[in-house]
Amino acid sequence: MQNFLRLDTVSLTYYSKTMETEALKDISFQVNEGEFVAIVGPSGCGKTTLLSLVCGILTPTKGKVYFNNQEITGVSSNVGYMLQRDYLFEWRTIQKNIFLGLEIQKKLTPQNTERVNNLIEKYGLKEFAKSYPNQLSGGMRQRAALIRTLATDPDILLLDEPFSALDFQTRLNVCDDVYRIIKKEQKTVLLVTHDISEAISMADKIIVLSKRPASIKNIHYTNLGHVSSPLKRRETNGFAQQFEEIWQELNDYETQEGTDSLTQAIS
Amino acid sequence: MKHKKELTPLHKQFLKKERKGKLTVFGGQFGFLILCFALWEIFAHYGVIDSFITSSPSRIWRQFGELLKNGNLFLHIYVSTKETVIGFLIGTALGTLAAIVLWWSPLLNKIFEPYLVVLNSLPKVALGPIIIIWAGTGQAAIITMAVLISVVVTTITMLNGFNNTDPNKILLLKTMRAKKIDIFGKLVLPSNLPTLVSCLKINVGMSWIGTIMGEYLTSQAGLGYLILYGGQVFKLDLVMTCILVLCVIAAVMYLLVALLEKSLVRWNS
Repeated sequence: MQNFLRLDTVSLTYYSKTMETEALKDISFQVNEGEFVAIVGPSGCGKTTLLSLVCGILTPTKGKVYFNNQEITGVSSNVGYMLQRDYLFEWRTIQKNIFLGLEIQKKLTPQNTERVNNLIEKYGLKEFAKSYPNQLSGGMRQRAALIRTLATDPDILLLDEPFSALDFQTRLNVCDDVYRIIKKEQKTVLLVTHDISEAISMADKIIVLSKRPASIKNIHYTNLGHVSSPLKRRETNGFAQQFEEIWQELNDYETQEGTDSLTQAIS
Repeated sequence: MKHKKELTPLHKQFLKKERKGKLTVFGGQFGFLILCFALWEIFAHYGVIDSFITSSPSRIWRQFGELLKNGNLFLHIYVSTKETVIGFLIGTALGTLAAIVLWWSPLLNKIFEPYLVVLNSLPKVALGPIIIIWAGTGQAAIITMAVLISVVVTTITMLNGFNNTDPNKILLLKTMRAKKIDIFGKLVLPSNLPTLVSCLKINVGMSWIGTIMGEYLTSQAGLGYLILYGGQVFKLDLVMTCILVLCVIAAVMYLLVALLEKSLVRWNS
């Protein structure tokens, strides 16, 4: 489906006692069903804010967010949110952690239970089902977090730098792992990251944001859908070039900003 | 999920060292106690200290036997322990309940914050005369004192724990469309079980303070009553005996809470 998720000139301003901060400015883009979209931008540019808008925790100051052509008001749409750390509850077993969402939404039907138990088995978490999170490795914990996100059968996955808390080696492997599972489950994904190579290795479409107030600088298409895994994508010919392009775009802003403040300082 | 494996010699050596270290600590703890009592006894025996005002272990032992024979030691222990346990339970429950209400409503939290601060710094003993007038001179007054001393500290500690729940975990639950009751029941309360346990540990001490203070103010029986009585008639043997008994009972209560902790926070091991 086209325009599964659509943002229409969305702006968001934060207010505090002493100032107002413009976080997002006139952001418009769409995500089609089954598409993997990455958003990259300098740190602190409001990427996470963008995800909060999509899952309805924040309401835009201006503009609208549509999901399935319906405007998002409040946390109503069926999203699955995955954060930087796994945030598994230490006092629950892995299985109980995974069932958390269904438990809250009171959807513990026999069908759902079976579906989720299948997910647990399919993705190799069965032997850890009765373990507590502190007995699992970082990679396994992140996988459990992903299965927890998938358990409620969300229409769209929102990944907020889901690998940034992992060390480099684990990170590449977990990235492969997560990608494989998401593709198998045919989910639509919106990924937020500051890691350009991660974005290219996973996404179909990359949205480059500028510094705060974030606006869309450019949209890239990776055309790497035929390559099976993020690790293999890193080895393709176009990878380095695309990395260079996006890196330049991000850097442009830094230098321009630098010149601006320099000019300001002089005058 | 530990597999049984043959221990390597170095591992065995390590375990032996561990055990030895533990034994040393335990021996030291026990030895210190023995040393104190021994010195106390010797000094009293040779007249270095006046055992009329310091008592001595042997005199305490004799006093203890006498109290046992008269049969009312257990009555006094029973009275005080009952007051303490009731005060402890009510204080902890009320305090936790108050903390839940204040966590639930940030507005109430803000409104009552200064009151909590003042109540916390107020020495509750100062309320003694008022308590006696309102609750009478019976056990009700003593229990009220025990409750008052533990309830404010519980409220503040629990509220602090509730308010420090990881905001990202709350965000996670919100994206799952959790209501406030879910956030409390599935996250805030279970993640604060350790806080509750440390509250219980503090409250063992707090409610004993309340009980003894209450008994000093008004009582017909109890360890506090005995201590006060012993002091008034200058029977230091009685005072010291009661204090030692008090130490033992408080330690037992603390151990019970520690046992409870083990079963409550199993996942933390």
